[in-house]
Amino acid sequence: MNTISPFETVLRGIAITLVILFFMFPIFWIVLMSFQTNATILQVPPSIFFEPTLQNYRGLITGQLVTDTSSLEIRFMSNLFNSLFLSTASVAVGLMLGVPAAYAFARLKFRGSEDIAFTLLSFRFAPPLLVLLPLTIYFQQLGLANTYGGLIWVYQLIVLPLILWIVRGYFEDIPADIEYAYRIAGHRWWTTFRKIALPLAGPGIAAAALLAFIFAWNNFVFALVLASADKQPVTVGALAFITASGVQYGQIAAGIILSIAPTFALALYAQRYLVEGLSLGAVKG
Amino acid sequence: MTLALEKIVKAFKKDVVLDGVSLSVGRGETLVLFGPSGAGKTVLLRLIAGVIEPDAGTIMIKGRDMEGVEPEDRGIGMAFQNFALFPHMDATENIAAPLTARNMNKTAITETVGKIARMLKIDHVLHHKPKELSNGQKQRTALARALAGEPDILLLDDPLRNVDAKLRFEMRLELPRLLKDQNATVIYVTQDYKEAMALGDRIAVMNARGIEQTGTPEEIYLTPANIEIARLFGDPVINLLDVSPVQVEGGVFITLSGVPVNIDAGYSDMVGRDCIIGIRPEAIRFVEEGSAEAIPLTIEAETPLNEKTVTLGLTQNGREIMVSRPAGTPGPSQGTGYIVIDANHIHLFDRATGKRIVPVKTQAAGSQGVAP
Amino acid sequence: MSDATHSGFPKRRFKVSRRMLPYVLSLPALLVCIGILIPFVTAVLYSLQRYRLSQPWARKWNWGENYWNFLSDDSFWNTLKVSMTYAFTTVGIELLLGLGIALLLQKRTKFNNFVSIMLLMPLMTAPALAALMWKLMTNPGFGILSYFAGLLGFEDFNWASDPQTAMLTVVIVDVWVYTPFIMILLLAGLRSLPQQPFEAAALDGVPRWFVFYRITLPMLTPFLLTAVLFRMIESIQQFDIIYAMTQGGPGDALTVFQVEAYLNFFQSTNVGRSAALMMILWAITYFLSNIFIKNWLRLRERQRGEA
Repeated sequence: MNTISPFETVLRGIAITLVILFFMFPIFWIVLMSFQTNATILQVPPSIFFEPTLQNYRGLITGQLVTDTSSLEIRFMSNLFNSLFLSTASVAVGLMLGVPAAYAFARLKFRGSEDIAFTLLSFRFAPPLLVLLPLTIYFQQLGLANTYGGLIWVYQLIVLPLILWIVRGYFEDIPADIEYAYRIAGHRWWTTFRKIALPLAGPGIAAAALLAFIFAWNNFVFALVLASADKQPVTVGALAFITASGVQYGQIAAGIILSIAPTFALALYAQRYLVEGLSLGAVKG
Repeated sequence: MTLALEKIVKAFKKDVVLDGVSLSVGRGETLVLFGPSGAGKTVLLRLIAGVIEPDAGTIMIKGRDMEGVEPEDRGIGMAFQNFALFPHMDATENIAAPLTARNMNKTAITETVGKIARMLKIDHVLHHKPKELSNGQKQRTALARALAGEPDILLLDDPLRNVDAKLRFEMRLELPRLLKDQNATVIYVTQDYKEAMALGDRIAVMNARGIEQTGTPEEIYLTPANIEIARLFGDPVINLLDVSPVQVEGGVFITLSGVPVNIDAGYSDMVGRDCIIGIRPEAIRFVEEGSAEAIPLTIEAETPLNEKTVTLGLTQNGREIMVSRPAGTPGPSQGTGYIVIDANHIHLFDRATGKRIVPVKTQAAGSQGVAP
Repeated sequence: MSDATHSGFPKRRFKVSRRMLPYVLSLPALLVCIGILIPFVTAVLYSLQRYRLSQPWARKWNWGENYWNFLSDDSFWNTLKVSMTYAFTTVGIELLLGLGIALLLQKRTKFNNFVSIMLLMPLMTAPALAALMWKLMTNPGFGILSYFAGLLGFEDFNWASDPQTAMLTVVIVDVWVYTPFIMILLLAGLRSLPQQPFEAAALDGVPRWFVFYRITLPMLTPFLLTAVLFRMIESIQQFDIIYAMTQGGPGDALTVFQVEAYLNFFQSTNVGRSAALMMILWAITYFLSNIFIKNWLRLRERQRGEA
């Protein structure tokens, strides 16, 4: 083996440090901001030493922003709820639609199956506004504008291809003989699907669901175009919040932290599957 | 007939695997499908099981056309070559699969599974998941699962392929009794001719062209339909020599090492034609020098093979002949040996087609001692 | 099994259900597909019309006019230029940085795994929220980065609100969010490479740069292609970061395709032009995604084959 010189070790150390600094600093700094009052935030020069306060979080959670001069109502919690509801429901619908289809594509190769699978995949890459702009007009006509149902449907654009292609890979990995054996033993197709295929693809389905949740949660443009304030998730809500709360920077920081915490937690939990999900099932982590 | 296949055709894309295969198996009979890999044996089993559908032809089970009948409705038990155990279920649940399908109550299931498990000596590992089982235990679990439903038809796809030699030997002895006890119609796929001979009531020999010959183990061994089948059965492999029979007064002869060997007079049609003669190594005997019709052989090598001793010799014009005799019986190990050939166990094949020539029964043949 | 178990059902029924099963299973997903295809077709039609929401009475077919007008439309060429600049800059930087980090973290040590998981955090941040985070950090009043810029001698460094530096600012945010994507894919690629060629090269004393160019890079190519194409397709369509940061401004400094189409639709209510813009973007992504899918499939086959 080539030996690594001390010089190189130092260089590597510096490189890693810079990398960590660049990627971690923004998160670190926003966390700090979220525990500060406007007074300490506006201090020049900025300092990492301050007396932490929970008032920003308290304000967000109670929905009442009390400042020296006024009291402002904020709906951040309802944004958070919308995010949670939209993402959960989209993933649930995506699983109901996607898992059976993934099974059909993996196991029951039928005429046109590849075409359909690739059409679904191509949605992942089409410009979202291409579909969204005409949809705003249709949604007005259909009465789907600013409804959870309409949003959940559109969210399938991101959720469905992901679930379909990850879960399909897992179904393909189950030897067909195992399912045949269960059928021959006397079980109906549906029982076999529930008792054999689903449990064996379970980890893949869970991974796809978690990732789909993260992607749905992080989506911005769908709700921006199709939802009004009362249905907006945090991504859109936070933007509006900046203008609404004026100069309450600590609040904004706290809002951002509350908005990204759930996806961070899920990502940590599902890190094993992240690579596979991010590459739509092409690369196993 | 419990099972009858009529002119089955099956192709995958453009690759025709089965082209007009017909087969029938009687009640309680064990039919061995024997042949090299790629012959379509497994495909045939899957067609019978109903997990794939034929492109043409009919499959009848107990007189009922199986077209469109789902696998779960065919009354079949199947053991897969790769076991195909359910990895997330323990051995009990695996074996109980055919029983749960019938909504059998829990106590009855436990009892039935226990009985089969004891019979197959896996009752001590019933709570183990497949990955905690040894290959032998997996194989027995798969077999138990196939048997548990007491199916009319049992399909066994080379179940001994992936187990070690010792277990294979044991199971080869054990299985015939087990299968007889089940009183099921069995189709057993194997690539091992000894397994085929040990287990089959009848053997169907398959190759890429389809089923070449069907018959009892004795028929297949003693009257192989062609050179290929003659080669597949028997160890050491049958001696095959190019010959051209001649008609001399008193019968039909071939010549080995310059010595004429009298063969069945029924072969007279083949006189002067290009033939291949097949002689089983155990149909050749060493004799003393100077015996009548003794053929000289230059001994090349001698090897023990199981309970036999196999001698490789060369004829005068350098053709190889293998001679097999029970170990411990006398025979030359070097120099020149002399052999005689049991005329009853000589097969003559047409060199062009590879087919065995059936000797025509003649008056005169009687005195020559025709093979039965 | 007795005969009773398999009688009582008409054969036909099974026949039909077996043939139809795959369609039944994929039908719901298919319907959703169709639901998406309808607006797509509508968009095509809109792009061929003179259609302004503010003047519905003036709506009429003008066929290729929306496209034809682009040729002499400076703001269209600006959109194209800005989108391309954005896409090539971000993907270029992310590729180099991502490859560098992946190489740094290649060894499977506890520390490296920990770092690689930490680095995923930006990727898990919603891009729109990431833009807000950077907006807070580049605020001219209290932003920590504005403060640092001042320390380095850049007085009044205005980041996204200055046309000169707006592109730089959003590119930094994009790099912050998406470099981990390329890094994690290449890391998986590097760690899945067979070890023999490297061991053999090490035994022969082949220089490391040579090993990198002649062994590592060629073997990593499918991963590189997949990652780069994937990012390219997304980057040329970037909306969240730019919209959340500057809404396309200042001026037309950041009016990339989707932002321009959004503004056209909702501000100028020019549906026809907006749809035509989207069609051109779609043509570009369609071309890219075709190449991508081919590579992606090959990689998928290979990776699944090895697993």
